[in-house]
This record gives sequence, structure tokens and C-alpha cells, in this order.
Amino acid sequence: MSAASLSNISQDLVWEIVRNNNSFSAKSKKNGGVQFSRDPLNLTNKASRKHAGFVNEKAIGVAVNEKGGVVVISKKGNSNKPAQNQTETTVTKASRKTYLTVANQTAKNGYRGDLRAAAVERASAIRRSQKPVKADHEVKLRGNRAKKAAAAAEAN
Amino acid sequence: MASRPTVSIIGKDGSPTGATHPIPAVFTSPIRPDIVQQVHTGMAKNKRQPYAVSEKAGHQTSAESWGTGRAVARIPRVSGGGTHRAGQAAFGNMCRSGRMFAPTKIWRKWHVKVNQGQKRYAVCSALAASAAAPLLLARGHQIASVPEVPLVVDSAVFEAASIAKTAAALGLLKAVGAGADVEKAKGTKKLRAGKGKLRGRRYRHRRGPLVIYDAETDGKELVTAFRNIAGVETSPVTSLNLLQLAPGGHLGRFIVWTSAAFKALDEIYGTTTEPSAHKRDFLLPSNVVSQADLTRLINSSEIQSSLNAPKGDAITRRAAVQKKNPLKNKQVMLRLNPYASVFVQESQKKQE
Repeated sequence: MSAASLSNISQDLVWEIVRNNNSFSAKSKKNGGVQFSRDPLNLTNKASRKHAGFVNEKAIGVAVNEKGGVVVISKKGNSNKPAQNQTETTVTKASRKTYLTVANQTAKNGYRGDLRAAAVERASAIRRSQKPVKADHEVKLRGNRAKKAAAAAEAN
Repeated sequence: MASRPTVSIIGKDGSPTGATHPIPAVFTSPIRPDIVQQVHTGMAKNKRQPYAVSEKAGHQTSAESWGTGRAVARIPRVSGGGTHRAGQAAFGNMCRSGRMFAPTKIWRKWHVKVNQGQKRYAVCSALAASAAAPLLLARGHQIASVPEVPLVVDSAVFEAASIAKTAAALGLLKAVGAGADVEKAKGTKKLRAGKGKLRGRRYRHRRGPLVIYDAETDGKELVTAFRNIAGVETSPVTSLNLLQLAPGGHLGRFIVWTSAAFKALDEIYGTTTEPSAHKRDFLLPSNVVSQADLTRLINSSEIQSSLNAPKGDAITRRAAVQKKNPLKNKQVMLRLNPYASVFVQESQKKQE
């Protein structure tokens, strides 16, 4: 069974042990000493108890799917069976549908309602990054520059 | 003691053999990073070799101070003439070719005695932490494909020296899901920063899994099989070392147990009430709280059933809100004095 059923360990204890230093932490001296986390199960990338996915029994991660869309990683129960406790769902629907799926995966059945907004925000940010970058439209020359360009074109 | 959870024993191909074993009592020891860190700091110092600068360094000259009156500092100066060295300051730590400040001595206190009770406590604590997957992740172990933590491999796999070659050992680690962690540790040999390079600590290396075996059943051939896999260490269950169980004082080493070693733990460490068979008068440290999970405690039926029902209605008036001035706020005035509206109307009529 899980170590959660061992009475000497709890998520809060684990967090107190690892909060100052862990393999996911990314501390910085800049920006007021902000502390980030590289945990794939962290939705905000900030080091905090709520978002520390590797500590919590239930956690949600939203990642980029290489072929477009997002991958929702959810961690279910028994953290002591690492090979079994994560499921990945690929969502390649339209934006609104994606958000609905992410929100449902996060908050339905009393899963992690507190993470819903963060999960949708992250999914949205990923979707936005996947949009094709619009090319800058051509600058229409005016005034002296337009005259110069016209003269150059004539000379040719 | 309440019934302990069981751990399934993994076979050669990485799938459970079907056999299980109750988790040894040592895994329920309190997890105390403070003790582990303190003991680690002490123990890590016990392999040091003395070093010091030469006793004579900086003092191999017959320098004497010139005293006052010659408009130079009163530091000892090298006597004689005919060479540049003559008249130069000597001895002081601020002088060129002087001695260093507080020259290091070989009789520095190199080693630290750590009490046996503390060492044992720390080992128990480190073992307990090795059964918590989040702590393994926090140490940086790659355990995504590990079927279960703690990871116990059937001793039948090691029988009759069947794991005596590195290829077999590597194959086994990959089969049981420890391949990713071995891969992570591989190729992490880095030149150490600083003077440690000159002092016998030339390279740094990530640590991979620690294989704990029972020499009586598993034999010792596996030691030679595993020793050339970078980052992988082996240790007999009878002499566990905190420096391997919690490298750097960080809890949560990824341990691959052989089933014989895992079963031996109860005999070696005993329980909180039965003394250990091998360590004289040693009882496992017990927890201050029997249930560390406060949420579970609060939500338990024992607590919930003895709580009073919540007082008040589903919606209650908030008590400490900002006080509104009834002379300025009409609604508040009406609430205090229902007659106010009539009063206002009448006073308006009078004015007309």
C-alpha cells in the first residue's frame, strides 16, 4: 500500500522537509528572491504548498503537446506507486472545449477544485503560444522616404 | 501495533511475483531531517586526513626588528646585505614570504564523535524517508517507472550468483524500473570546483539507486556486478551507512532492496517495543504523534462524531463589519428606526 497509510508521513510533513531545498526548486536572487518550481505537476511554476504537485497526493499538470493542444497530467492517489499513479490526457479541441475539459478534469468529482482557475489559465497560455505568429504588415512609406524609394525605383 | 501495510515483491521481469511482505517497523520511525543532517555533518568528517603547512614555513630567516627611529615599520626585517632579501619584512602574515595567519596544524580536531544512539536514530529516519516517493522526487531520483516505493526485488533473482556480471545487473535495474535513475546518474562525472581537486576529491558524481542486499542469502557476487555502474552503490543490510542512505544529509535515497534484506530489517532493527536482535538494548524510536496526517485526523469519524453541530443558520449575519452612520445612511436609519420615513415626510410637509 502507500506510504500515506504509514502513520509517520503526511503531505504537510513532506512539504516542511522539502520546502527549503528540493530538486525542482529554482531560487533566484533577482526579482525580490522569487522562488520557482520546475515540477511538471505545478501549474503556476511557483514554489508553494498548494501547487507542489510532487508533494500532494492529488495534483494536476498541464503541458505542451508537441503536435498542438495540451496534455493534462493528473496524479491519482497512491503516490508510492509512481509507475501507476499518473494519467495523461491529450486535448486537441478548440479553445473553449479545451478549457472545459481541463476544468472538468481538475475540479469534477471533488478532485482539486482549488486548482481549476490555474489549470485553465495554463492551458490558455499554452494555446496562445501555439497560435501562428502574424507577420508584421508591410510599412507603407510616406513623405521623404517614399520619394526616395520612388526615385530609386525610377533609376533602376 | 496496528497491522502494517504490505509491499509487493518484484520479480526478474519487473512485474510483481504475487508475494508480499509487511513493511518492516523501521519504516514507521519518525522522519527527523534535523537529526539526519547533524549526524551526517559529523560522520562526513570522519574520513578526513590531516593536513597542515610546514612548521617552518615563513620562519626560515633570522629577521629582527630594527626598532624605532629608522622611519620604517617595526616588523622584523631580514638582516645582512648584498641581496634584495636583506631589509625586507619577514614573519608576519601580511609579509611577502611570511608565514600564513594561524598556520594550520595536523592536530586540528578532524574527527567528530557522534553518539551511537543518534547514529541509529538517523539511520532509522533515513530508511523511513526512503519509503516516501515525494522525498525521493525531492532528492531528484527518476522514479516515474518504478512500480512501488519501497522497491523490493525477489532474492530468487540473485540466487546462485546469477547476477554476477554488470550486464545482468544493469538489465535487472532496467527491468525493475530503476533504469531512468541509472541513466540520470550516468555521465554526470564532473570536475570538482575548487581545491578539493587536489585533496583526493577530484570528481563529483550524481548518486543513483542504492542496492541493499543480505550477504547470507544473496551472496556477494552482486557487489562486483553493480560496482561498475556509475552512481549505483551496494550495501549489505547488516551495516547500513547514513552517508549512503542520505547523501549530503538529504533524505530520500532511492533504494532497491532484495527481498532477503527487506525481511532482515525487522530482525536487525526490532520494533518500538521489542529490542533488536543485533543491536544491544536498541528500540526503534517512536513517534510523538501516532498519526502525522492532521487532515486525516480532523476528518476521522472519531473526531467528527464528537464535534458539536455548527451553531446558527446556514446564513448568519456577519458580526464584525464596518459600522455605518445612520444619520448619513438612510437604509441603516430605517433599520434602526422604522418610523423615520414617516417622520421625514411629515417634517417636509411642515416646511411646505
